[in-house]
Amino acid sequence: MRLTGLISAEAWMNLWTMKRYLFNTLAMIVVMYLIFLGLFAGLRTFAGERADGESLDTMVVGYVLWMSAMFALSGTSGIVLQESQQGTLEQLYLSPMGTERIFLAKAVIGTVFNFVILTIMLYLVMLTTGRWHSVNLPLFYGMLLLTLLSLQGIGFMMGGIGLIHKRIGAVNQILSFGLIGLMMLPVYPFTPWALLPFVAGAHTINSQIVADAAFPAWWYLLIAGNSLFYLLVGIAIFGVFERRARKLGKLGQY
Amino acid sequence: MRLSARLLSSEKRQAHSPCPGGPLESLISVSDLEKSYADVKALQGISFSVQPGEVLGILGPNGSGKTTAIKSILGLLTFDAGTISVAGAEIPRQRRRVLSRVGAVLEGARNVYWYLSPRENLRYFAGIRGFAHRQVQKRMEGLLERLGLAEVADKEVRKFSSGMKQKVALACALVHDPDILLLDEPTVGLDVEAAAEVRGMIADLAGRRGRTILVTSHDMSFMEAVCTRVLIVRQGRIVSHESLQGLRRRFSRKVYQVTLAGRPREECLAAIRDLAGLDVSECGRGILLSLLPETPGAFHRALDLLEESGLEPLDISTVESSLEEIFLDLVSRICD
Repeated sequence: MRLTGLISAEAWMNLWTMKRYLFNTLAMIVVMYLIFLGLFAGLRTFAGERADGESLDTMVVGYVLWMSAMFALSGTSGIVLQESQQGTLEQLYLSPMGTERIFLAKAVIGTVFNFVILTIMLYLVMLTTGRWHSVNLPLFYGMLLLTLLSLQGIGFMMGGIGLIHKRIGAVNQILSFGLIGLMMLPVYPFTPWALLPFVAGAHTINSQIVADAAFPAWWYLLIAGNSLFYLLVGIAIFGVFERRARKLGKLGQY
Repeated sequence: MRLSARLLSSEKRQAHSPCPGGPLESLISVSDLEKSYADVKALQGISFSVQPGEVLGILGPNGSGKTTAIKSILGLLTFDAGTISVAGAEIPRQRRRVLSRVGAVLEGARNVYWYLSPRENLRYFAGIRGFAHRQVQKRMEGLLERLGLAEVADKEVRKFSSGMKQKVALACALVHDPDILLLDEPTVGLDVEAAAEVRGMIADLAGRRGRTILVTSHDMSFMEAVCTRVLIVRQGRIVSHESLQGLRRRFSRKVYQVTLAGRPREECLAAIRDLAGLDVSECGRGILLSLLPETPGAFHRALDLLEESGLEPLDISTVESSLEEIFLDLVSRICD
């Protein structure tokens, strides 16, 4: 019951924020729609009749993957920064639920909300353009959620740094570019690069969802283990920075 | 023994034996607490305890360590040495257990979301403490009613006065029905009317609702109105630790207003000023004689000096010291 109270509070807060800042929400939706439209139209312009379903699927999957990765990476540090600016961070720390659970709930619910909006936009664009992708969305989002946990872990590390240094947007940008490099690394058949966060999952999503490639069961276990490992390490490192912030008296500062 | 030496020896006694009642009966027990920020010693071995149903005030000037003490108890700060136990659980080891029984309003921090309404704030803060909306709905409505927020329950907090915002913060601190409240400077920045209202609410929480409250402030009238006992802290040390009555009895100056037929001569006033343990100031149709508690003889000697200069007192009345006067006097004497 206690965890459901937290989850429903965070879901309600997300919905409420969307409603309260309706203009911003609408602008975000329009931008998303235009980006999808651009992707669909651009594909047709450049590839013409050669633009097959697979190219479209690659673009859709790539874009959603990228957006979600960015959100996971900067989510926790963004929350820390926002709550510090609002002066409410210390009140979150007074919850007996623990801040790790609160931040994880915020991050996961934020990701799910993103998925919902992205899906709605995707279908709107497909209706508009008359072009239909063949992505298995439940499988895609399931895999993506699992894969993103490793980036949530990195996000927790960044959030921990944010507790001490507050503004770390520049570091997040560097990480975003680093992520592009990571996604190009060869991971399958198994290479040590697969042990890095997100890489194996992103590769699998691209290959399986778009090209229907099959992977052995141990490969999925590796992805799950990788995600869990980076998530736990991220939370542990967040805890280290949190203890440092408590020692320096920086939790309530901005 | 000099007063400052007496205070320091009393402080040392307190450091080794928390106040009457002891840690077993206390809801909050702090022992030998020390905290430094770089080379600044914010807390230098303070010890105190708060009994169930008590309102303990921590009074002190800015930078005296009040907020550090509150944040240490809440586990928002890591302390360097000492022990803290709240409701039998240790900080920081059993912090989460403690937090389910504690509500807090922090100083300076905004405490609540200004873009939400009071009702929405209550709903969110109940949720992140693990309560489903329907579990706390009745309590939320009760709090809104009791704190005078019912009529503005759906308006954005950002449009409220400072006093109203503070009420919302108090409501959110109470939404999980804690039996212990920690309030850090709850009246800071409030106008007189709002401060009186918040004071009334805190007195009600302590009195009728039996909550245990630890409150910091440098608002003396607030402390006098709500606290059963007051700690006076300065530079991270407790310089006084007793009930308001005890504080008055021990440290209050006896102030006498002596009405005279005429103005005393300068030589007479100078002679009175030279008496140990007594201050004199002119006031209206007479003088104010302010005596340290341990120097009652000086008062009679001052009256003799007045009579010798030909001024018979027409009337003598006593003036009770306010907590503010006691505090300022205490702090200035320790500085000396």
